[in-house]
Amino acid sequence: MKDPVRLQQEDFSQDEEVLALRASSKRMGGIATFIGCARDFSEGREVMQISFDAYGSMAVAEMNKLREEAIAKFGLLDARIVHRVGVVGAGEQIVFIAAGAEHRAPALQACHWLIDELKQRVPIWKKEITPQGDAWVTQHP
Amino acid sequence: MIKVLFFGPVAERAGASEVQVAFAAGMRLLDVREQLQAMHPAAFEIVCFAAVNGEHVLDMSLPLADHSEVVFMSKFSGG
Repeated sequence: MKDPVRLQQEDFSQDEEVLALRASSKRMGGIATFIGCARDFSEGREVMQISFDAYGSMAVAEMNKLREEAIAKFGLLDARIVHRVGVVGAGEQIVFIAAGAEHRAPALQACHWLIDELKQRVPIWKKEITPQGDAWVTQHP
Repeated sequence: MIKVLFFGPVAERAGASEVQVAFAAGMRLLDVREQLQAMHPAAFEIVCFAAVNGEHVLDMSLPLADHSEVVFMSKFSGG
């Protein structure tokens, strides 16, 4: 079974992640998921690829803290967070979050909270690769 | 020695992903920052956060131990 919190270069499978989440408890009545993908445009420019750099050990530690906090804060039965690093092509998946709870409301709230907190707290940086050159993204949209 | 790591846009501006700073007794995080800021001013223009041994640090007067791992980071943009 793959770790519920991972930083990895390769793509992930939503089906595999949700199956792993469901395997953790038969009391799960609601699962909310979020997938972040690489847009092919940004601020009027074509984006061909996005390159991610991360402070790996701290990023994984922060993602584990986020998972534990979400489980406690929203009473989740389980949660999973996967983020890719390296070069991701336009249209490809970047990040996966799943939150499972007895009921839908805490699952949905936790999923939203997790992606917002990840953006604020996890040391990962993206660089957009465009035909006009590369540019690091430093602002939160 | 203190190991200092840079990532993403800070690393690009500094032209390095890792530098070593000689440890001195009583050294604080602020001392390392000031020393490196003088060498890499463009990189430190975008530094917003610091971490020591993998933990966020807000207090720049934090004393450092020899062999600490220090990271100066810009705003995150993952997700």
